[in-house]
Amino acid sequence: MKLINHLIHRITLFFTIVMLCWSAFYFALQMKEIHDGNDEGLTNLKQEFIAKANRLPDFAENMERESPLNLIVKEISQEEAETVMENFQTTRVYFSTELEQEEVRMLTSAFFCTLNGKHYQIQLFTSTVESDDLIENMLYLMLGLWIALILTVIIVSRIIISRANKPFYQLLNELKKFRLDSHAMMNFPQTKIEEYRQLNRAIRDLLAKNREVFTEQKQFIENSSHELQTPLAIVIAKLEMLLEKHQNQQEYVSEIASLLNTLNRMKRLNSSLLLLSKIRNCQFPETSAVNLREVVESVLADFEDLAACKQLAVETCGDASLCMQMNRELAHILFANLIKNAIAHNEAGGKIVVACEENAITVSNSGKQAVINVFGRYQNIRNDENSSGLGLSIVNAIAGLYKLEVTYRFEQNMHHFRITLK
Amino acid sequence: MKILIIEDEYRLLKTIEEFLLSEKFVVEKAINYHSAIEKAVIYDYDCILLDISLPGGSGLKILEEMKRENKTGNVIIISAKNSLDDKVSGLDLGADDYLTKPFHLPELYARIKAVLRRKNPGGNAVVTLGNSTLNLNERQLLVNSIDPKLTRKEFDMLAFLVTNKNRLVTKEALAEHVWGDNIDLADNFDFVYSQVKNLRKKIKESGSDIVIKNVYGVGYKMTT
Repeated sequence: MKLINHLIHRITLFFTIVMLCWSAFYFALQMKEIHDGNDEGLTNLKQEFIAKANRLPDFAENMERESPLNLIVKEISQEEAETVMENFQTTRVYFSTELEQEEVRMLTSAFFCTLNGKHYQIQLFTSTVESDDLIENMLYLMLGLWIALILTVIIVSRIIISRANKPFYQLLNELKKFRLDSHAMMNFPQTKIEEYRQLNRAIRDLLAKNREVFTEQKQFIENSSHELQTPLAIVIAKLEMLLEKHQNQQEYVSEIASLLNTLNRMKRLNSSLLLLSKIRNCQFPETSAVNLREVVESVLADFEDLAACKQLAVETCGDASLCMQMNRELAHILFANLIKNAIAHNEAGGKIVVACEENAITVSNSGKQAVINVFGRYQNIRNDENSSGLGLSIVNAIAGLYKLEVTYRFEQNMHHFRITLK
Repeated sequence: MKILIIEDEYRLLKTIEEFLLSEKFVVEKAINYHSAIEKAVIYDYDCILLDISLPGGSGLKILEEMKRENKTGNVIIISAKNSLDDKVSGLDLGADDYLTKPFHLPELYARIKAVLRRKNPGGNAVVTLGNSTLNLNERQLLVNSIDPKLTRKEFDMLAFLVTNKNRLVTKEALAEHVWGDNIDLADNFDFVYSQVKNLRKKIKESGSDIVIKNVYGVGYKMTT
């Protein structure tokens, strides 16, 4: 739910409840006023009637004649008269002229006529506002008012909230576009609203701090690369010089060569680790449309001699051209590692099959048994001291960067690594 | 041939210097940005080996400065950062080649030779070994004026060994030169062995005098 809808929803709900309560209160108050007015009139009428009754001696006889239509007088005993409490009530009376029951306000009371010493019950009524009609009318009016008000609230708050939230949405868009490794700091929207100013400030500080950490980390990677590569370069160069000086003495040559071999392994391991952390730190920002099929073919050409030397048959099948937006160097590294893996973990006289489909490339190679947790780091199944065991980790890291899916399965004595474009 | 080495790591600088002196080069050294920029701008060198990360300033700035002064110094960048950005901007600024640390000395030597060859074409592009001539620019081997038709990789191997003649070239260095960094497989000893075997066979069949000597199973050497 969008914030604006959420707010309007809540405001409208609250507004409706308030309006409803207020309308009920207003209606009750209005009815009370009307009844109070009627009741006062009825009380006056009653007092006048009683005074009149005590003044005219033949009142009792003439009552039928004297009494107006809105008056019912009935003789009652003293006991009954004592129980009568003066009260007002709203009731319905049938009017023959109107041919319907009308709502009336009725005062019931009793009085003692001093002239003839009799007790009378008196019921005075007057027609009043029809509460049903009033409710109905009020309801229509109120409903009209409510709808008008709610519509106004919705429209006005929508306009006001959207205007007020504009800097927020601009900020959100900028944040979505922002990349830590880009050189430019993002643009912060101008706003007069204090909270958004604070938000801008907080985000600016946060990003600045993060960029600093990111840059530091990047520099650390580069520095550690430098720090390690340079000593390695020195040792390798020195040993090569030594090798040249003693090239006629076999024991020296063999020892130095074995040292060099170990150092080269270290060099490769170091560069693989650096590559891995560089990929994980997204330090390959340039992308272009890369035809993966072409990449695979060029990688296969690079490894042609190696595969031939191990007497591996290389087949490519499928003629789909897969294109995707990625870093060309990484695309190459991705497939180089897969193919390298397929060559290294192959059998003598085995084969490598690269299948290009519409949205996937599968690299398969001969093998004896399935490998469990093949993507785990240092899953070096051959226990091969010359392989870093980082190849598939690199594959995984690159795939993760571009949201590619890498799956492994073992079928018909073949290992299959499938890269699926999503 | 005069070479300037710009490198802040003194021990590496000494080793490269020693190596180049043994190849009869005249070597000048610069160990920081200021002495480097002074030498690079004032004097002329046949080749400059330039480390990018220097105390006092970036090696790329030296390239910029040289470009401004119209100095085309045949620069080979030597960097510990295997970063494409640096490579691209270095080559854009007029560097001739880019070498990542750590490197093999025979590789450095081959790169220097290639740069020098590009500087004066035809000068030392043709190497004659007995009845065989190797034209490094045309990428062609002629044995008694007949081309034995080497593949690209075979020629690369031969050229590398010829360039580094009389020097022991390890299998590692040879494999990396010809097949690049990609070939970091355990089996590359056997692999290089079989590739050299094929090359030898081809050379022998063509009747060439070229002999690729196997040195104690660790590498190869070409002697004249």
